[in-house]
Amino acid sequence: MPAVDLHLPPDVAYVGLARLIVCAAARLAGMAEERVEDLRIAVSEATTNAMAAHNRDGEGAPVVLSFGPTKSSFEVTIADAGAGFDPEPPEALNDRDPLQEGGLGVILIRGLADSVSFERGEGMRVNMRFQVGLEADGDRTQASVDV
Amino acid sequence: MELSLNHRDEGAATVLEVAGEVDVYTAPKLRERLIELVQDGRHHIVVDMTKVEFLDSTGLGVLVGGLKRVRSHDGSLRLVCDKERILKIFRITGLTKVFPIHDSLDEALQDSG
Repeated sequence: MPAVDLHLPPDVAYVGLARLIVCAAARLAGMAEERVEDLRIAVSEATTNAMAAHNRDGEGAPVVLSFGPTKSSFEVTIADAGAGFDPEPPEALNDRDPLQEGGLGVILIRGLADSVSFERGEGMRVNMRFQVGLEADGDRTQASVDV
Repeated sequence: MELSLNHRDEGAATVLEVAGEVDVYTAPKLRERLIELVQDGRHHIVVDMTKVEFLDSTGLGVLVGGLKRVRSHDGSLRLVCDKERILKIFRITGLTKVFPIHDSLDEALQDSG
């Protein structure tokens, strides 16, 4: 199945729609339900950040989500035209004040996706990969999921 | 799915029942309700999340804000959550160390106050 591009207006009202559509595509690709839950949160976080960047910078262009299955995983890229940001490295979590509000989205993305990259260029591109099966390594037998 | 909020007083505590999805679009409603409760003098709050279908970092941020607010009045904020997929995000973000999280409302009410 080729990747699908979803162009969403930069309005937080559409974050729920982004979750719904990406998760439906992942289920069709055979993703185990437990992983769909991880994907759902990670997509919500990255889309929220992208929408927030457009709103902050007065950027009216759509936020673009590209997603689809690859050989053994399901990949989602969320691109925005905002000013971008430098995500905290994973080790920063150890020194973090747990009562600090904000910054939790990147922690969740890192904690839930099997791999993630943040690219800062003209805007921000967050690429996340999720194994389709439950097992991260070894046996990658796809789980049977009702769709 | 929309977010629905209902609160009731149970002894010294106030139970805030949250149902539906808490994300960037709906979280402001939860934030406002928590602010109102604290302003009304309700400083021991139990947030019942057993009917929450989805919660992301925006919702977590609102709960952290609520916790800080009640603490400034020597109050408490406890959570009731029995869904593994929601507990998981509290664990990843280290917030299990910050919030008392209970399996049942009865247990939370026993410890509240």
